[in-house]
Amino acid sequence: MINPVPPAAIFIIAALLVPLFKGRWKSAYMLLIPVVGFINLISIPEGTHWVVRFLDYDLVLGRMDRLSIIFGYIFHIISFIAILYALHVKDDVQNVAGLIYAGSALGVVFSGDLFSFFVFWEMLTISSIFLIWARRTRAAMGAGFRYLLVHAAGGLCLLAGIVLYVNQTGSIEFGYIGLSGLSSYLIFFGFGVNCAWPFLHPWLSDAYPEATITGTIFLSAFTTKCAVYALARAFPGTEALIWIGAAMAGFPIFFAVIENDLRRVLAYSLINQVGFMVVGIGIGTHLAINGAVAHAFNDILFKALLFMSMGAVMYRTGKINGTALGGLYRTMPLTCLFCIVGAASISAFPLFSGFVSKSMVMSAAGDGHMRVVWFILLFASAGVFHHAGIKIPFFAFFSHDSGMRPKEAPLHMLLAMGIAAFLCIFIGSFPGPLYSMLPYPVDYVPYTIPHIVGQTQLLFFSALAFTLLMLAGIYPGEQRCVNLDADWFYRKGSRLFYLIMDKGLNSLNKVSDRIFVGGLAGFFGYISKRGPEILTLGALTPLWGITGAKGKELKDKIETTRTALHTHTSPIGISAALATVFLVVIFLLR
Amino acid sequence: MTEERSEEIEGKMELSHDPVPGYRTIFFVAFAVGILYLGFILFKTL
Repeated sequence: MINPVPPAAIFIIAALLVPLFKGRWKSAYMLLIPVVGFINLISIPEGTHWVVRFLDYDLVLGRMDRLSIIFGYIFHIISFIAILYALHVKDDVQNVAGLIYAGSALGVVFSGDLFSFFVFWEMLTISSIFLIWARRTRAAMGAGFRYLLVHAAGGLCLLAGIVLYVNQTGSIEFGYIGLSGLSSYLIFFGFGVNCAWPFLHPWLSDAYPEATITGTIFLSAFTTKCAVYALARAFPGTEALIWIGAAMAGFPIFFAVIENDLRRVLAYSLINQVGFMVVGIGIGTHLAINGAVAHAFNDILFKALLFMSMGAVMYRTGKINGTALGGLYRTMPLTCLFCIVGAASISAFPLFSGFVSKSMVMSAAGDGHMRVVWFILLFASAGVFHHAGIKIPFFAFFSHDSGMRPKEAPLHMLLAMGIAAFLCIFIGSFPGPLYSMLPYPVDYVPYTIPHIVGQTQLLFFSALAFTLLMLAGIYPGEQRCVNLDADWFYRKGSRLFYLIMDKGLNSLNKVSDRIFVGGLAGFFGYISKRGPEILTLGALTPLWGITGAKGKELKDKIETTRTALHTHTSPIGISAALATVFLVVIFLLR
Repeated sequence: MTEERSEEIEGKMELSHDPVPGYRTIFFVAFAVGILYLGFILFKTL
C-alpha cells in the first residue's frame, strides 16, 4: 500500500516531467495524472494531513473535509476532461501550465493555513497567465498583461490582509474569517478579484476569450471556483455577498446579449453563474451553501462543455464571431448536440444538471423571503437561457448559413465533450450522488411539479421572447467590435494616467534636466575647471598693473599664468599666495 | 485548420436581423400582455 501524497503535488511534479515524453506516451502520461490523482484523493481520509512546521507556524497541506473534498473531486474530473480535449496540443508551455494550474487549484482547496493557501493562490495566477500568452497573438499578450496586473493587485491586497490578520490573531489557520476589521476586508477584496465581482471582473471577459482553445477550458474551471471555495470557507453568511452575487448574476446578461465573440459571451455567462454561487454563500444557510457548492460543481462541467464546443468550432473554422459563423450543424452534428446539452444544462432545463443546483440557491433566497434577490435571480435565469442557452448554439450552428462546411471535431475532443455531456445529463437526472457529497446533509427535492412547471414556463417564455425579438427585428445585431464595460475605466483611465504622467512628470523631468543637468552642473563644471584661473587672474592682474606691467609684458604674464594653471604647474609663489588668500578668507569668515 | 488562423477576424461587419412583417406588432402585443400579467402577479403577491 502506497501512502497518499498531497493532491497538488501529483499534478505539479508530474507537470515538470511532461516535456520528457513524446507522442502517444505523452498523451497516455498526461491522461494518467488526474487518474492517479483521483485514486490518491479517494484514499485520503477526512481530517488534517501533512502538517509541516515552518518558523513558528504549522503549515497544513491537506485539510480534508466535505467542502474541500467535493472541489477536489470536480477538479480531478475536469482536469481529465480538459487533458483529453487537449491531446492534439504539442505545445509544452500549454501542457505544463495547465497541469500546474490544476495542481495549484488543488493546493488552494486543500490548504489548511493561510500561508500555503496564498502560495498556491499566486501559483494559480502565474500558471494561468501562460495559458493566455500561449496563444501568442498581440491581443492575447495584452490581455495577459492586464490579467497579470489585476491579479497582482488582488494578490497584494490578499497578502496585506493575511499579514494583518495573522498579526491580530496570532494564527495562520484558514477557516471562518467574517467581515470585521481592515484585515478581513482586504482578504475579502482579494477573493473578490478572483471571483470577478462587478467592476473587478473585466479581467475575465477580457482574457478568457483571448486564451488558447484548450487553455480556456482550464481557465473556466479553476480561478473563479477557487474564489467561490475561499468565500464559502471564510465568509459564509456575509450579507454583502448576497447583493454582490445578485449584481454578478444580473449585469452580464446585457453585455452577453450584444457580444459578438461567442467565447466572450460564455465568459459573461461564467460571471453570471458565479453570481448564483456568491448569493448562496452570502445567504449562508445549509441549503444555500449546498446550492452554491453543487452549482460550482455543475458549472465547471457545463461551462467547460460549452467552451469545448466553441473551441471545436474555432479549431475547425478558425472563427468564433457570431457574424462569421452559422449553419455548422450540417457538418458538425455531434459538436452541435454536445453544445445543446451544455446550453440546456446552464439554462437549468429539467433533467439537466443546472436544474438540480441552481434551484437550491433560489429556494434558499425564497426561504429567506428575499424577494428582490429572488427576482434578480429569476431574471438572471431567463437571461442566461437567452444568451448561453439559445444564442450560443443558434449563432454557431444554425442562424444564417456561413457557407462553411468544416469537418466534425477530432475524436478526442468529441470524447471529452461526450463525457462532460454525459455527466451533465446524469447529474440532472440522478442528483443523489452529487447531493451525497455536499458539505451539509441535503433535504431538498428538485423534481416537484411546481418547480418543473415554473422552470419550464420561464424557459419557454424566454425562448418566445428571443423568437419574437428576432422576428420583429428588435434583437440587436452582432457587430465586429470590442465592447467595453467596466474595463473602460482602466483602458481609458490608463490613457489618461499615461497622459498625466507624460505631460506632468516628463515636463518636470525636462525642467529639472535643464536646470540641474544642463544649467547648474554645467556652471559648476565650468567653475571647477576655470575657477582657479578666473580667481587668480582676477586677483593678480590689478596687482601686476600697480607694479608697472603693461602691454605685451602684462599679456605674457597673464598667458603664462593661465597655461600654468591649465597644466597644474603654477609657480609655488602663486600657490602660496592663493593659500594665503584662502586662509585670510577663512579667518574672516570665522 | 490551425489555431493561429483564428486570429483573423473575418465575416460580416454586422449580422443584422431583418424584421418579418407583422411580427413587430405581435411582439408589442405580447410584451404588453406580459407586463400586465407580471404587474397583476406582483400586485397580488407583494
